[in-house]
Amino acid sequence: MECALDAQSLISISLRKIHSSRTQRGGIKLHKNLLVSYVLRNARQLYLSERYAELYRRQQQQQQQQPPHHQHQHLAYAAPGMPASAADFGPLQLGGGGDAEAREPAARHQLHQLHQLHLQQQLHQHQHPAPRGCAAAAAAGAPAGGAGALSELPGCAALQPPHGAPHRGQPLEPLQPGPAPLPLPPPAPAALCPRDPRAPAACSAPSAPPGAAPPAAAASPPASPAPASSPGFYRGAYPTPSDFGLHCSSQTTVLDLDTHVVTTVENGYLHQDCCASAHCPCCGQGAPGPGLASAAGCKRKYYPGQEEEEDDEEDAGELGAEPPGGAPFAPCKRARFEDFCPDSSPDASNISNLISIFGSGFSGLVSRQPDSSEQPPPLNGQLCAKQALASLGAWTRAIVAF
Amino acid sequence: WVGRGGGAGGGNDIQWCFSQVKGAVDDDVAEADIISTVEFNHSGELLATGDKGGRVVIFQQEQENKIQSHSRGEYNVYSTFQSHEPEFDYLKSLEIEEKINKIRWLPQKNAAQFLLSTNDKTIKLWKISERDKRPEGYNLKEEDGRYRDPTTVTTLRVPVFRPMDLMVEASPRRIFANAHTYHINSISINSDYETYLSADDLRINLWHLEITDRSFNIVDIKPANMEELTEVITAAEFHPNSCNTFVYSSSKGTIRLCDMRASALCDRHSKLFEEPEDPSNRSFFSEIISSISDVKFSHSGRYMMTRDYLSVKIWDLNMENRPVETYQVHEYLRSKLCSLYENDCIFDKFECCWNGSDSVVMTGSYNNFFRMFDRNTKRDITLEASRENNKPRTVLKPRKVCASGKRKKDEISVDSLDFNKKILHTAWHPKENIIAVATTNNLYIFQDKVN
Repeated sequence: MECALDAQSLISISLRKIHSSRTQRGGIKLHKNLLVSYVLRNARQLYLSERYAELYRRQQQQQQQQPPHHQHQHLAYAAPGMPASAADFGPLQLGGGGDAEAREPAARHQLHQLHQLHLQQQLHQHQHPAPRGCAAAAAAGAPAGGAGALSELPGCAALQPPHGAPHRGQPLEPLQPGPAPLPLPPPAPAALCPRDPRAPAACSAPSAPPGAAPPAAAASPPASPAPASSPGFYRGAYPTPSDFGLHCSSQTTVLDLDTHVVTTVENGYLHQDCCASAHCPCCGQGAPGPGLASAAGCKRKYYPGQEEEEDDEEDAGELGAEPPGGAPFAPCKRARFEDFCPDSSPDASNISNLISIFGSGFSGLVSRQPDSSEQPPPLNGQLCAKQALASLGAWTRAIVAF
Repeated sequence: WVGRGGGAGGGNDIQWCFSQVKGAVDDDVAEADIISTVEFNHSGELLATGDKGGRVVIFQQEQENKIQSHSRGEYNVYSTFQSHEPEFDYLKSLEIEEKINKIRWLPQKNAAQFLLSTNDKTIKLWKISERDKRPEGYNLKEEDGRYRDPTTVTTLRVPVFRPMDLMVEASPRRIFANAHTYHINSISINSDYETYLSADDLRINLWHLEITDRSFNIVDIKPANMEELTEVITAAEFHPNSCNTFVYSSSKGTIRLCDMRASALCDRHSKLFEEPEDPSNRSFFSEIISSISDVKFSHSGRYMMTRDYLSVKIWDLNMENRPVETYQVHEYLRSKLCSLYENDCIFDKFECCWNGSDSVVMTGSYNNFFRMFDRNTKRDITLEASRENNKPRTVLKPRKVCASGKRKKDEISVDSLDFNKKILHTAWHPKENIIAVATTNNLYIFQDKVN
């Protein structure tokens, strides 16, 4: 497939389309927005694959310098051309361990681990100081002959079963390079949205692997079919709207076309929620810590190199609004904002809302609670973000509103 | 047919000639004038168009002039009326466009004509009737309608009907409202001529033409959790002969055939028509270009045709795993999908239609080109709807797009195609070789050359 645009531009364009569709006459066109979200998903898959390839290269270098003390996870590298079967996920349905069951065992395993990782990140952020790896679920890619279409990404030691007690250092099975493409779910969605009922909080993308998580041996030689992007730059995951957008956005008003309920969710409180740990990524604080915090820490490492890559996501995140988490974050963020989004922050906030919906992986949609779609979440401004996001109804309506 | 090699065809070959063009001449297109649907009635005598401004214009074919038998009758304006108005849903804070999405004619049962027209939310049954006589000679009223002073009436007379200038009246007989949460994309009248279906993105409803306060939901693909949404309904149609059968197409490129006898809710299809995707063609936009924009049964009911962004496919109802015929409409656009995504053209919904004998299918393209595919000879032709050829009986010259490489004379390169000039709506007379082709705001009528 020829495409004059890279994945990032496509993401940006897609988000702009979704955003502008909200103001179009005649209401939101569900069909068009669904199609745009497919493009968004496809572009994100490629974007992530490129990032992970980058990451792998980095890890390879670091591995040679440090002794491994973490297990890792081998992941298949998603070639840009993904088999159609991987597209069985709805673009809005990011994640879906259940669907992965139908797929190959290796894929299932990887997805499982990915979910574990995210669960870990979000639920145990205060408990596990170990750095996290970036375990994006791999997508099948056609192996490219000898060079192999598989690259590895260092995994995270703290991969744990979703419902069990943590046990570190769980060895992960390497994904053997094989001739046949694996029908894996797309990496981006899985990476971003563990559909775990216990993960209602801000869903951040997988964190950047900590520097100290080298891949294990017996890795297949990495080959990066993806075009090289900024070499020195790694951003661990899909531009995390949840990291930025949710932190800094104000409100999302959504409506359910069927029940006619309008709800307003205060996104900003996610930020508070994250920042509570004082390891908020956008607060520019904190050493690498568990979960989000570690992700943050890892990410921060790469911030300086990120500018050129992040224009669209920065749109998402740049709102001009002060994150409630506090001052330290602001200067850093503002600089990027000025670099890339000198325009309207209202647009950016809308886009961030949109991205937050798509990029958060809807983990917040999976609620521990019984389906409360009939009850709008309380609109108390001090509402805990977790509860707000945990309310399935609110985000369902958000999608419906698209 | 004028085949690819050009030249006059003999035998069964058709030469298409310009007949008429309707609509404003100037290039500045008023948004309300954009044609959004075109439909012949069952006899072909009437041709209806709907536009973005909510108006319906009906053209009627003149009776053939036996003396001047070089052409068939012309189509002239028969009736114009405002079908839908813009509305505002205050509860949801949504504006409801007045654009007419579809018109479907009912078969004629008496002197009046009936059609269904729909916008995004409301379907209306219109009665179009002629009035060519009026009563004259009232006792209590003057001819101009003023009431006479009863005391001045000295004699009585019986009013009689006298001829008058033909007046065509359109009146809304039924309003089918409030049944669709999402945007209606299709309506289709059942072969029982009593019921019809209406389809939106996620649901299909069955109506009785006489009953407006009730409709039955027969398909509902809305997932319990909207985040699981992966496809929407894009078109639906009743089988032309089996009143229990209908199909609906999806944004994923599948067609489901449902039998209403099987269950009240036809969520489970009887047949699923799907062609596996060619993995070598996979791209960012695979999902978009596989979305089906139109589905039409053949007149015989044996086949159905689907239109996706780049191709037209003919399916045999007895074979689900692949179409029996595939025609590339504008394959040269496959390498341009990125740009077409940027400028939103990739979302254009092209329609398609059969000729009366199901031997030829037609669909539109860009640059005001439209394409016909002869199923028997496997020949195809590209023609242009343009005012440059607007002398009646001018034979249309076949057009050719040069995909790459050296451009021959008279060919058009892909990069010089005008993507703002798109033909989304076409219609074929049910019996004759007369076609109606809608450009943005003009309606072209072409006929085959009659010697």
